[in-house]
Amino acid sequence: MTIVTGKTEARRRLQPGSSGLLRNIWKHRADYAYVLPAIAVMLIVIAYPIYYTVELSFFKTPPGLQLRDKSFIGLDNYTAILTSQVFWKVTLNTLIWTIASTFVAFVLGFAAALALHREFIGRGVLRAILIIPWVISAVAASYIWKWIYHSDFGIIGAVLVGLGLADRPPNFIDNVSTVLPSLIVVNIWREFPFAMIMMMAGLQTVPDQLLRAAEVDGANAWQRFWHVTFPHLRNVSTVTILLLAVANFNSFIIPWIMTGGGPSNASHIWITHIYELAFGRQRWGVASAYSVLLFLMLMVLGYFYVRALAGNERKEGGA
Amino acid sequence: MTRITLGGAVLRGTVATALMASLMSGSALGAPVDLSKWSPEYVRSIAGTQDFDTAADCGKVTPLDYKGRLTFWYQGVFEGDPDLLRQYYKDFFETFRKTYPNIQLEDQALTYNDLLDKFRTALLGNAAPMAVRLQILGGTEFAAKGYLQPLKPEDVGYPTEDFWPGAMKAVTWDGVTYGIPTNNETMAFIWNADIFKRAGLDPDKAPATWDDVVKYSKQIHDKLGIAGYGLVARKNAGNTPYRFMPQLWAYGGGVFDEATASPTYKDVELNSPQSKAALQASYDMYVRDKSVPVSALTNQQADNQPLFVAGQLGMMVSHPSDYNVMLDLQKKATGADKEKAQTVIDNMRYGLIPTGPDGKRAVVFGGSNIHILKPEYVEGGKVDEPAAKAIICMWTSPEWSLKMAYAGSNPGNLNGFKTKWMKERLDSIKFLDVTTSMLPYGIPFPALPQSPEIMNIIVPDMLQNALTGAMTVDQAADDAAEKVKNLMDGL
Repeated sequence: MTIVTGKTEARRRLQPGSSGLLRNIWKHRADYAYVLPAIAVMLIVIAYPIYYTVELSFFKTPPGLQLRDKSFIGLDNYTAILTSQVFWKVTLNTLIWTIASTFVAFVLGFAAALALHREFIGRGVLRAILIIPWVISAVAASYIWKWIYHSDFGIIGAVLVGLGLADRPPNFIDNVSTVLPSLIVVNIWREFPFAMIMMMAGLQTVPDQLLRAAEVDGANAWQRFWHVTFPHLRNVSTVTILLLAVANFNSFIIPWIMTGGGPSNASHIWITHIYELAFGRQRWGVASAYSVLLFLMLMVLGYFYVRALAGNERKEGGA
Repeated sequence: MTRITLGGAVLRGTVATALMASLMSGSALGAPVDLSKWSPEYVRSIAGTQDFDTAADCGKVTPLDYKGRLTFWYQGVFEGDPDLLRQYYKDFFETFRKTYPNIQLEDQALTYNDLLDKFRTALLGNAAPMAVRLQILGGTEFAAKGYLQPLKPEDVGYPTEDFWPGAMKAVTWDGVTYGIPTNNETMAFIWNADIFKRAGLDPDKAPATWDDVVKYSKQIHDKLGIAGYGLVARKNAGNTPYRFMPQLWAYGGGVFDEATASPTYKDVELNSPQSKAALQASYDMYVRDKSVPVSALTNQQADNQPLFVAGQLGMMVSHPSDYNVMLDLQKKATGADKEKAQTVIDNMRYGLIPTGPDGKRAVVFGGSNIHILKPEYVEGGKVDEPAAKAIICMWTSPEWSLKMAYAGSNPGNLNGFKTKWMKERLDSIKFLDVTTSMLPYGIPFPALPQSPEIMNIIVPDMLQNALTGAMTVDQAADDAAEKVKNLMDGL
């Protein structure tokens, strides 16, 4: 007796002959017609810009000429980028920015979710307050923090000087050593509520009966967390971390508004550097090559994100 | 309030023929406004001597019943401008719509720092407006790239001689004129006499040299614990080159030879000993003496204004409009802050920008220009030329080029100095004499398509590299010079 599993059936469907494929498309023509407008829009607003960016990355675009006067230079833009000191400095900044922001925002968000998962008076109010950084405009938040950090009369500096803890206001964003950590703090402040919401949603899925059974078996709070709660949150954690990482790789508003990548390029991350190369210095070719490299990195992250989502679906399907 | 005695300095300025030569052409001598006689007294003598009928003049260029559509972007007012200017901008567009009721005007105001980025992007997508008013730096860049239509003052009914020759250079590329100046200005040196007095300095005397600025700044900071000089070193902000270049030129430096009478822009001078001396002066104030705002690297002039009105800043370089800005800020203050602001306003003084060690005085010859785009770069592929010329005629008219520059600048059309509004302005805008006295010392930015990148990115980068300690003064200057060389080589 032959058993046809779902996997075998799926493989059969995915590998038909060309006539089978066309027959299949024709059979599902109504489905394709429904998604056609969305695909057409995506081709225009996503596929074409990606194609054009890749194409442009092989051209020299002198700032004194129009874009149509570009000249083909093969991989020279990529070579120039990979051999420039600025690239490695900006890449290091980007990695520090992305890893630190993602990790700390996730840990804080997770901790807040665990705290808010319990019943206590004022839980709703606290939850609403903690979400505020995530819902306010990033532009407004950047300006507010710029004033909080202000090196001459910022609020933090005034408090520290007022309390006699410092002789003069600390220099947060006008100093090459402190500017990036200062911006990361702002980014974490803005992002941790997102992690908190995701993890709170994940916590809802942890079965109560399992936790109670573990308690009956004598497991303490840490053991219940580690052996019951955390395994259930593994997939939502992966998705949250990947989404945060992608968002951080693409961050623009906070560093651009607060410092413009300065001082002395100390807070330039990939996106701000690409923006300056393209719109400030009109090196469209080099900026495109940078964008292609960033796109490839994000594709890798995207692959893991899709895998994590697929893992979730498989688990849910199997449950 | 004590008035500033400018006689001697102004006289020297007016006869500073080398610098004047960079601004004036031979034909200027026959122009309605005689630039060779330029002095505060001359400006006063011609103010209110001629009436102009703007609608009638522009009606000859584009009939007042002309029916059309115009898209127009312009560098508008921003947070550092006084309310007075906002009102004039509002009045201008209302008047235009009344004068040309059948022209459908779609106007968009952008700030100095955003306009170039947005305009460049729009050009790449052939989605530019039909007409645009750009900062003075922008004219050459877009003319050199072939985006602009030839356009000279005669095309909107005015002789070229009615505009500053230095300003005309900024709209000329390869011998062809591509735009018309709307306003031109030079800044002046501002100080708080009360702070000077409390710091043991002569309250009625501006620092004579940039070396004095360094000394005064330190003295103010050491004695009063506040910032001495309002240094600005933010990147991608027009404020930075407008404040640093006068210092660079005064020390005898430059990006190229733009401070000479006949610049060739061949050799890069950013790493010359004179340029390094100017950078060293900024370094001394920021790093050695810590006598300027620490926030100078991320701030612009708009951030210096509240510091100044709060009595926390002793000196700065800016427009006459800063006096009106202080009045606006004072109105918004309450209680003790209001009184403090009034004290600052009462003690606000304007003087000529200090000289370098060799007595050289310089200031950026700034301003804006108005242009018409070629149809292929405009959204829809069409330019309504009569409509574009109508708005250009109005903005560059003696009346409106004066009114739109009322508090912060000067009319691009020299006949604006002859209007009754100029007379009114001389009486109502304090310290206007001082900034108009600086005009003969004005040096235009290099008339090169690469100028925006040099001024908005490379020069501020040089300052930041030196002031943050990322590089030494020598290294920062050498690095900047190398970047300019690469840029000029098309790299």
